[in-house]
Amino acid sequence: MSSGKAVLEVNGVVKRFGGIIAVNKVSFKVYEGEILGLIGPNGAGKTTLFNCITGVYTPEEGHVVFLGQEITGLQPHIIAQKGILRTWQKVRPFKKMTVLDTVTVGALLRIKSVRKAREKAAEILRFIGMPEEKFDVLGREITLIEHKLVDLARALATGPKLLLLDEVAAGLRPHEMEELANVLRKINKEKGLTMIVVEHVMRFVMGLSNRLIVMHEGQKIAEGKPEEIANDPRVIEAYLGTKPL
Amino acid sequence: MGWGEWISESKRYIIGTLVLGGLLALVPFAINFDMYYLLILSTALLYGVYVVAWNIIGGYAGQLDLAAFAYIGLGGIVAAELFTIYGVTPWVGMFVGAGVAMILAAAIGYPTFRFGIKDVWYALMSAALVVILNNIFHLPELLGSLDHYLPSKYGWMYLRFPTYENLYWFVTVTLVVAMLINLKISHSKTGYYLRAIREDELAAEALGIDVRKYKLLALMMYAGILGFMGYVSIVIQGTYSYHTFDSPNSITIAIMGIIGGLGSIAGAFTSAVTLKIIGEYLRSTLGASIPGIHLLIYGLLLIIVGIFKPDGLAGVWVSLKKKFVKKNVRGEKK
Ligand SMILES: Nc1ncnc2c1ncn2[C@@H]1O[C@H](COP(=O)(O)OP(=O)(O)OP(=O)(O)O)[C@@H](O)[C@H]1O
Ligand SMILES: [Mg+2]
Repeated sequence: MSSGKAVLEVNGVVKRFGGIIAVNKVSFKVYEGEILGLIGPNGAGKTTLFNCITGVYTPEEGHVVFLGQEITGLQPHIIAQKGILRTWQKVRPFKKMTVLDTVTVGALLRIKSVRKAREKAAEILRFIGMPEEKFDVLGREITLIEHKLVDLARALATGPKLLLLDEVAAGLRPHEMEELANVLRKINKEKGLTMIVVEHVMRFVMGLSNRLIVMHEGQKIAEGKPEEIANDPRVIEAYLGTKPL
Repeated sequence: MGWGEWISESKRYIIGTLVLGGLLALVPFAINFDMYYLLILSTALLYGVYVVAWNIIGGYAGQLDLAAFAYIGLGGIVAAELFTIYGVTPWVGMFVGAGVAMILAAAIGYPTFRFGIKDVWYALMSAALVVILNNIFHLPELLGSLDHYLPSKYGWMYLRFPTYENLYWFVTVTLVVAMLINLKISHSKTGYYLRAIREDELAAEALGIDVRKYKLLALMMYAGILGFMGYVSIVIQGTYSYHTFDSPNSITIAIMGIIGGLGSIAGAFTSAVTLKIIGEYLRSTLGASIPGIHLLIYGLLLIIVGIFKPDGLAGVWVSLKKKFVKKNVRGEKK
């Protein structure tokens, strides 16, 4: 994979909150067409890193380069227009909009005609397995899991080049998780969409990712193939809090 | 979205709006051109226009704007002064008034949205705008303490008439136009984007929406419609002064919009017209003994809606439909 060209380059990014260094000099690359897993215990800084990439926060140090272009500190909507889309760990639904309208908002980024955008939205919803009878249900009336799917669908509908998924699988039942993993694999294969996947569920992220990055207390502590990561003593320590022998 | 696509997709609503306009236009015949009722109905429909306009910033974009009479007053006074001092026909003056109101909206909206002022802060700031303009126009160099009268010229040229039916019809037409503008916005990309902003700004931004730009656009469209109608407001009032920058009624407009249901054109219309008629009735019957009774009633209604039906009249309508019409929601779309 590392032979491909880098879609995203994160170089020495730092973000503090008061005394906490939430992201501490993190650097990595994401290559075209890969699924990069990003793991780490609670509070490791994964979500903050996503926020630094997508412009929610401006990093205090370091650079974010997307397709060869510096995007550090740009406004979130400009970063989205350039093609980096994300989902939210804590869902941010459009409660008083229907599922289809919500996804249409995403589709309108690249499609002028509302009718065509609605068709695109419906197509994406079907693709990720949202039952048709949910299309006209309001955002406040669907379940958490459906929210996660809508969140994914509205990001996909924009036609992204890089997708950042923040714990989309959290709360899913095992078979739902397997379905979602299949959908993500399919999107990755068919559309060649590059992804960074944050996930606590190891089986999900290990099975999905080509490569993994591990964060702990704001720092990147390991990077490699899933099987390497699984046996890395630093990773085991970070997760179990015990010194490896 | 293109006009053709809009017309074909929204045919039902467009026809509905036109039919409503046609029915409203017949009302003067039904009440035998009674001057008193026509005045009240003209005022009620004028409030219909205001609240339908408010729906753009308050209903779609979700910004609790309390500055309606800043734009109505400014637009109206500009048109009135152009007419009084320079003899410019209000047909031109109203457009100038709309333009000036939009410039004010841009001047206020740009920094406000740039610095992310929202929610209660936005509401307070917009409320303050009315008070500030009220004070500025109180200055002797501007309007001073006096009431100003429009020149005594009558006819369509000046939109002033010895009786009220023509004005009533003019307001009816502007109401239909305002509703169609809303309908067009609602079904276009702008409408989708404004609703997304209302629901969750950060999520909207992350989908590529230039939140500031769209909020500003909504504010300017709202201000433009209000600024245009300002002259009509002055014609109905008979005079203009610094009092034209009217704080209680600015708040009333927002209350009517909320009671109607955010984002609902029919709700905005129904709420504005019925509440204004009730309000005028109460004012004429109890106003002398209990001043401000109509405001009290609006406030109470707002509380009731807030507790029982946060989606307003539009929400009541939807639940009634769900209850009585056993039809799946999807079937009615196409
Ligand atoms: N807005 C904020 N203000 C203050 N501190 C914050 C803020 N956001 C995150 N933090 C802190 O930064 C650190 C990293 O948090 P972050 O949410 O990025 O971790 P995470 O890896 O996503 O964790 P989780 O797996 O629980 O989602 C934590 O110590 C957290 O408390
Ligand atoms: Mg997180």
